[in-house]
Amino acid sequence: MMRELGALTRRELLRIARNPQAIVTSLLLPILYLVLFGQAFNLNNITKLSPYPIPPTVFLQLYRGAPSYFSYFAAGMTGFVAVTATLFVGANVIFDRLFGTLKRTSASPATPTVIFGARLIAGSVQPICLAFLVLGLSLLLGHVGLSGLDVTASVSALGAVEIVAAIVILSVMFASLFIAIGFSLEQPQTYFAIVNAINLPVLLTSAALYPWGILPAWLKSVASYNPITLAVNVLRENLFAGASAYYPYSAGVYLLGLFGWALAMFILAVLLARRALAPRH
Amino acid sequence: MVESIHVEGLSKTYNGTVKAVDNISFAVNQGEAFGFLGPNGAGKTTTVSVLTAQLAPTAGRATVDGIDVFQNPMEIKRRIGLVFQESTADSDLTGRENLELAAALFGVPRAEVRARVDSLLERMQIGDAADRLARTYSGGMRRRLELAVGIIHSPRVLFLDEPTLGLDPQGRAGFWRYVQELRKDHGMTVFVTTHYLDEADQICERLAIIDHGHLVATGSPSELKDRLGGDIVTIRTARVDPAVEAALKAVPGVASVSLQEDAYRVKAPRGEQLIPALVQACTQAGVALTSVSLKRPSLDEVFLEFTGREYREDGVTATDRAVRIGQVSQAFGRSRR
Repeated sequence: MMRELGALTRRELLRIARNPQAIVTSLLLPILYLVLFGQAFNLNNITKLSPYPIPPTVFLQLYRGAPSYFSYFAAGMTGFVAVTATLFVGANVIFDRLFGTLKRTSASPATPTVIFGARLIAGSVQPICLAFLVLGLSLLLGHVGLSGLDVTASVSALGAVEIVAAIVILSVMFASLFIAIGFSLEQPQTYFAIVNAINLPVLLTSAALYPWGILPAWLKSVASYNPITLAVNVLRENLFAGASAYYPYSAGVYLLGLFGWALAMFILAVLLARRALAPRH
Repeated sequence: MVESIHVEGLSKTYNGTVKAVDNISFAVNQGEAFGFLGPNGAGKTTTVSVLTAQLAPTAGRATVDGIDVFQNPMEIKRRIGLVFQESTADSDLTGRENLELAAALFGVPRAEVRARVDSLLERMQIGDAADRLARTYSGGMRRRLELAVGIIHSPRVLFLDEPTLGLDPQGRAGFWRYVQELRKDHGMTVFVTTHYLDEADQICERLAIIDHGHLVATGSPSELKDRLGGDIVTIRTARVDPAVEAALKAVPGVASVSLQEDAYRVKAPRGEQLIPALVQACTQAGVALTSVSLKRPSLDEVFLEFTGREYREDGVTATDRAVRIGQVSQAFGRSRR
């Protein structure tokens, strides 16, 4: 089983590596967000317009302990790219079905779980890499005269593990979700219509972009359960000194909630993959 | 004879209404090349899909290499090789990588993979292109790669589902040459579906003709042709008249006369010698002739005999077909039966 999983994962990774256009495209979106959106919406600049000094605590409340909007936003973007970079994972399932390669794989003795597992592993690698790239780029921007990610906490080993775990689990969760959708659809057009209908609402009901302090209560309630929020909460609690005071739960609790989401999506995807790859009736 | 494939009362109905395969039974002996012949939509691919554990049947049972297809589909997948009618090789992988992937999925011992892949690449004459992406391969190269992928694990039974569809005559001839070499070397059973009658005639030891989901005839190509009772003289007249049929039947040496698709089909052991008498019989019946043609028994005639319809190969011109017949015959170095 491990040999089959390894061979199929290698195949998926080779295919990703051989399509550099797709890699460049997936890099473009987060770079634009960081270099343009994040810079333009740096709400700390409001102090320049205000005739009265604004106490720093206002901003800390607004950004839940983050020192600036960009720092708050950079953590949010790290979570969001985990979603955007997994969008194509499910589309590849549909294209493989249309081009016959899925037929070949499912005619082999590889089990549906192995076929799904290989796609999940390979499909999670890209968003994980991209998420860390966003973190790195956000840090770098602060050193070239732009707003950058300002890590004010001394990140402990446990904190680093929690950050990595949050990114990995979030990527696996969305890869599972999109693979599940890919296995249950036959037309790429339908797939893209559905993922677009998921993508934006998931982003806009999360705490990835909005300053938390001014969110309406109802949106706060919705966003609290959003998997992107759960992941970025873990990042923000660990990256910014004193941030934990602005969160009702510890990073571990958010990580657990995120794990629950990922498990649910994983089970759903396994079931749909097994159904799609079982002998047809 | 040991049976390699045994099918009993197999039926497949789609959506509860469309009967693709209806209660078919047949057996294929070990080491045999068995052809499953029929036009598009006859039920060929459905039968292959069921026998290769990709499609659940509605009724019936089947064993392949002694294993129950429906009880143990994974074991079936391990034992068989399958070449689909469409290309299934991964375009983003090289020929070599496609074969290595298949070797891993089918459990070829690691120590043997390299040698087996190299040997197959050479044998299929894609060694020079082994490290090129499959998307750059020509149609013939892709078909040969498909065949290599299908046999990387030395299967005991090889299923070929219309494997030469879309290939040029040379490509077809080459493909069948490889299949025959493999049969000779490994003694594998080959189950092939095709709607190219000439290919089936050349390659298969036994045939089954399927039409509208029913098996209408089985036997060796020569047995099936013998059942026709000799040559076929096709006579077309200006109008259909019962007197013509009676006159033709009265000609000494005529085995039978039937009216099919506005033409009289006269069976006779030595058709060419009978043509003058047949022409005279029509003239005496007072009906003008529009054409007379003579056909030696062929699978086309067999198909017409058993289904009542002329066999038409979609998108194949007469020239293409004639060239293909020549190419296939050349590949096997024997004349048509």
